Amino acid sequence: MRTYIAALIALVCWVGAAKADKKQHRYVGIHPIAKAAGGGVCHIQAPHVHVYAPIDVKVQFRDHDGWNYFVGDPVAYGWDGPKTSYYGHHPVPVDVIVEDDHPDTEYCYLEGPHFHAWAPPPKLDLELRAGAYWYVGTFPPAYAEGRVGYDPIDVVYQPIRYERPTVVVDAAPPGWYGAIVVAPAPVVVVPARPARVSAGVEIHVPAPSLRVEIGVPSVRIGIGGGVVVHDRHDHDDDHHDHGRRGGKGKWKRGRGHR
Amino acid sequence: MIAPRRLAALLVALAACGGSEAKPAGSDDGMVAAWKAAKLDVSALTTVDAKPYGATACRGGTVSGVDVVLCSYGSGEDAQAAQDLGLAAVGDATGAALARGARLLVVVDRRKADPTGRTIDAITAAFRK
Repeated sequence: MRTYIAALIALVCWVGAAKADKKQHRYVGIHPIAKAAGGGVCHIQAPHVHVYAPIDVKVQFRDHDGWNYFVGDPVAYGWDGPKTSYYGHHPVPVDVIVEDDHPDTEYCYLEGPHFHAWAPPPKLDLELRAGAYWYVGTFPPAYAEGRVGYDPIDVVYQPIRYERPTVVVDAAPPGWYGAIVVAPAPVVVVPARPARVSAGVEIHVPAPSLRVEIGVPSVRIGIGGGVVVHDRHDHDDDHHDHGRRGGKGKWKRGRGHR
Repeated sequence: MIAPRRLAALLVALAACGGSEAKPAGSDDGMVAAWKAAKLDVSALTTVDAKPYGATACRGGTVSGVDVVLCSYGSGEDAQAAQDLGLAAVGDATGAALARGARLLVVVDRRKADPTGRTIDAITAAFRK
């Protein structure tokens, strides 16, 4: 009798849990499909729903008017549609990409070469160099504020083996600010170069002067205050901005929330 | 009495209206034509209960194995407001409910015929054009 009661309770709990899992999750744009739901990439661009939750929602998705928008690299999950190469951090004009009227600019915090399924709109300050787009505009305070929570996105991609864009450059474009991610390489000597920030602070960010081949990242070169290269070792001391772009700013996105 | 020049202009305008074979994009037939143009396999659309969608009229069928319902409303605002009803109708499947003008499209993949969403993407893209 006890066994039957225990089995009944277990069954009720299981049914309850199964029902709880059936909650609708709202998405807009393409995104990775949960492994439990088959994996791969969902191709639906329009707002839509699934019963599975977004993967790594805290770093890979942004809220766009109540819908989950994927800001990561879809190629890592098997995307075989149109794609564009980017290098380093850059704005993501979500409203332009999903073609709606809720103004929303988010930021991609992926280091080094990566893909997105969208081609950049003309108004974005991106420079095409070595086949990849580099953001050479000014980052607003919202970018620095978001960095604390979103920067760990690279950790999600570290174990994923896929072909990233190969970017071969002699130097980063003037105005670009970020960390160069390179294949195993020796020491790089760099000249000083200023980067722009919206807070009016001038930061001296050196850019590489040697030819650097950038492919599957395994080494991160910190830029600023001299360059250090460690084989298979992250050197983040100089790579992170230490609040250099911080400060309260005037820029604030308008956004229609539900 | 209409002047001959005006009469001619009127006749030309009438001919232009009546002579066009293209279905209006906002109509069900126009939508079916757009889906077929996107190489989707479209079934006949039949009348379905409009109550769950809060609509004045609805027609439904399948497009390449995915269920679709097209509903009409008195206004664009009504159609927009009905999107949540459409999502409720999707239930625990993958789907979408999109308003355009005074119409609502509800797409539901109840049979898991479209695991990567390519079909739903083509269906919704044609509707949003």
